[in-house]
Amino acid sequence: MSRLTIWLILGTTLTFLIGPFLIVIFAGASAGETLTFPPQGLSLKWYAKVFTVESFRDSFALSMFLAIFGTLTALLIGIPAAYALNRYNLPGAEAIRTIVAAPIIVPGIIVGLALLRYFVVPLDVTITMALFVTHTALVLPYAVRVVSSSLNNLRADMEEAAVILGCTRFQAFVKVVLPNIRGGILAAFILGFVTSFNEVPASLFLSGPGVRTLPIDMLSYMEITFDPSVAALSALLAFMSVAIVFVAERLLGFSRYV
Amino acid sequence: MFLNRSEGFALALPAALFTFLVFLVPVGILLSAAFQAEPGVWSLQGYVDFFSESLNQSVFLRTLKLGILVAGTSAVIGYAAAFCIVNLPASSRGRIFGLVVLPLMISPVARTYAWIVILGRTGIVNDVIVGLGLSETPIRLLFTETAVFIGLLQLFLPLMIISLVSAMENIPRDVVPAARVLGASWFQVFFRVILPLTKEGLVIGGTLVFTGALTAYITPAILGGSKVLMLETLLYQKVNVSNDFVSASVIAMILIVMCFSANLVLKRIASVRS
Repeated sequence: MSRLTIWLILGTTLTFLIGPFLIVIFAGASAGETLTFPPQGLSLKWYAKVFTVESFRDSFALSMFLAIFGTLTALLIGIPAAYALNRYNLPGAEAIRTIVAAPIIVPGIIVGLALLRYFVVPLDVTITMALFVTHTALVLPYAVRVVSSSLNNLRADMEEAAVILGCTRFQAFVKVVLPNIRGGILAAFILGFVTSFNEVPASLFLSGPGVRTLPIDMLSYMEITFDPSVAALSALLAFMSVAIVFVAERLLGFSRYV
Repeated sequence: MFLNRSEGFALALPAALFTFLVFLVPVGILLSAAFQAEPGVWSLQGYVDFFSESLNQSVFLRTLKLGILVAGTSAVIGYAAAFCIVNLPASSRGRIFGLVVLPLMISPVARTYAWIVILGRTGIVNDVIVGLGLSETPIRLLFTETAVFIGLLQLFLPLMIISLVSAMENIPRDVVPAARVLGASWFQVFFRVILPLTKEGLVIGGTLVFTGALTAYITPAILGGSKVLMLETLLYQKVNVSNDFVSASVIAMILIVMCFSANLVLKRIASVRS
């Protein structure tokens, strides 16, 4: 194949994948009142307006809370699980792996409905708590998988040596294992954060009046209002995700872990 | 490898127990509700009722059709794009691959919203159509199957490309030139060399794209609305509009069965070819 053909195919594909974003960025920078492209004059007023919409601020705070603490909780129980699955010859390890991975396989909307009907309502759990639990469960498979793969690359004899030299098993874990897998843990955190922050289907049924995650708030906002503020917000969120991933890639070669 | 098993179980227990209790148990109960049209009585009545409505039938068939179309189209584009990426010089390969992966990190709401700007009444496509005089008034492009198809394709194409690129990277570099030198046409090169060597990647990518398209909520909700329902949006309606939890459970069961069988069928096809 000639170079021209190669770049023609790649150019078309990438335009299809990324072009729409550039359009959103510009549509959000419109000076007009309705969503159009090309924008009617350029201004940053919609980008500024996003920060003044109260429901966006509330839902952004909730999404941040869920993404940070849901992922941290998932890591808190996921790291020991990954360690156990990698370092102990557990009978039934495959079963444990399948159970922990299950939330990825089941469609999100089913997860949300199931938790609403058979967890939230019978146990009278608050919506925020329900969202927290759901997001933790959804992020856990990624935490276990990414940490597992970085444990796989770390030879077990290092810990054994530490134990022989007088460390307790726990000290060996903290002093030898943790420092060596911190790149994997950070990668798992970023992947979990992005997954949780962008999650919609599972949170759909668990969102109540006044308690909504940001993407769901955007969905309901665009049903009512047809102004460029959602375009501006979409562009800002895209920048945020890209910036996080870019920094992670530069710092630790994020893509190795995913 | 440590031998103290109870210690190992203790470490794995919180994660397993957590997922089991807050995830598997509720989902299990929900799925079992699909077999109880009346509480406590086990039957397939829920399925009979569901499929006897013509709306439900057409939504089911549309979901299946869109899933297959999106997976098929992304396989065709994916092979072309992946082949190009693998043949790029090392310096630009990483960067181009990064651009393919990039959209996956961005919120699906933002990604789908872009198509409103493009396909809406005052969007770019309609501006061009009206501007060129092809139509007097804007054409309805949103809330059509085509819009949902385009949205889903854009959402899931990267998954196919990634799977195929990693499969193709394992083909020894000189295999394709060797086949060409020995007289194979590009057509033969693809079907006799590339396809057999990358079918595992195709199975993984195909499963990801098909199940992704089947279970996407945002795209059919934004680009299809209530005019072009898919199973996910229908499930949402059954719950929030008609309070029909039996049908919702039936849809849940159908979705899960479709996802699992897609994987099995693709694996079977791949193993027959060899």
